[in-house]
Amino acid sequence: MMNLIERFFPMQRGGSKEDAKSRLKILLVHDQVDLTPSQMDAMRAEILEVIARYAEIEPTKVDLRLERGDDGINLVSSVAVRRVNARLAVGS
Amino acid sequence: MSECIVITSGKGGVGKTTSTANLGVALALMGKKVAVVDADIGLRNLDVILGLENRIVYDLVHVIEGECRLKQALIKDKRVENLYLLPAAQTRDKNAVSPENMRDLVKQMKEDFDYILIDCPAGIEQGFKNSIAGADRAIIVTTPEVSAIRDADRIIGLCEAAELPEPMLIVNRFRAKLVKRGDMLNKDDILEILAIPLIGMVPDHEDVIVTSNKGYPAAFDDKSVVGEAYRRIARRITGEADVPFVALEEPDTVWSVMKRWMGLGPAKEVAS
Repeated sequence: MMNLIERFFPMQRGGSKEDAKSRLKILLVHDQVDLTPSQMDAMRAEILEVIARYAEIEPTKVDLRLERGDDGINLVSSVAVRRVNARLAVGS
Repeated sequence: MSECIVITSGKGGVGKTTSTANLGVALALMGKKVAVVDADIGLRNLDVILGLENRIVYDLVHVIEGECRLKQALIKDKRVENLYLLPAAQTRDKNAVSPENMRDLVKQMKEDFDYILIDCPAGIEQGFKNSIAGADRAIIVTTPEVSAIRDADRIIGLCEAAELPEPMLIVNRFRAKLVKRGDMLNKDDILEILAIPLIGMVPDHEDVIVTSNKGYPAAFDDKSVVGEAYRRIARRITGEADVPFVALEEPDTVWSVMKRWMGLGPAKEVAS
């Protein structure tokens, strides 16, 4: 029965343009910035290292990327923090 | 006032030559005096798209090297008043021409023409540099694909670096059906990414292939939707304000209307 219905009303394919759009947004920023993926990874690691000195990071919830804004490239980050390490932060 | 416009894209095969030919025809049909220049030295094609390939005697390199006068190399299109082609050399390479040569050539041509359209070769090398050298502004051709848009973005950057003000965008090979079902970037997606003004959208249509087979650009054909899209772009080029965009929708069928009623099809969306 489902087969018959699908024959008459083919499943709506679609949505691949969202893939195109998100790929393009990343691609264009990186074309402009001229950082290699490994340099980008190194920058990410170093930034997280600094944050880790002050706070405990949830490593699976780290988002750090370059985005194109109206007036140039922005480094956008969202880092989930488990708890701030007050003792370390004060000591530094 | 005379204006030189370079038609460029970065990526090959997105429709620069077809666009140049059609805009040349459309502007000439509006009564403007137009020269289209093939700057793709070594890989000329504009002559073929215009159906003028059998009439070439001299070419752009001959003019630049002083082997003939400009007027001898210009081929007059007999189908419309005031359209001329300056063909590229087929047996030379891009290094036969320099940006200074092109600047001088364009300056000379501006004495005789309202519009000089330069068909730029693909790439960002010498041929591109030559093509933009004499231009007052650029029209960037792209298609709704990741690769073409990426290259367009690069070219926009290079145009800005070369102080070509405000490049404008033609989105070519637009397919309303794919946009409706979310499988093709739409006008707003592309403009959001490239952030330059749109000068026109051209549907993906068999007219383009049929007309290129014949060497008879669609802009000559009153009934062609592709021709209509280019004629509207030509009007915008001349500064005419508020030229409405052609509805780039697939015509409704009984079936598509029924599906929409039953909530099975996507909502009707005008593409441009």
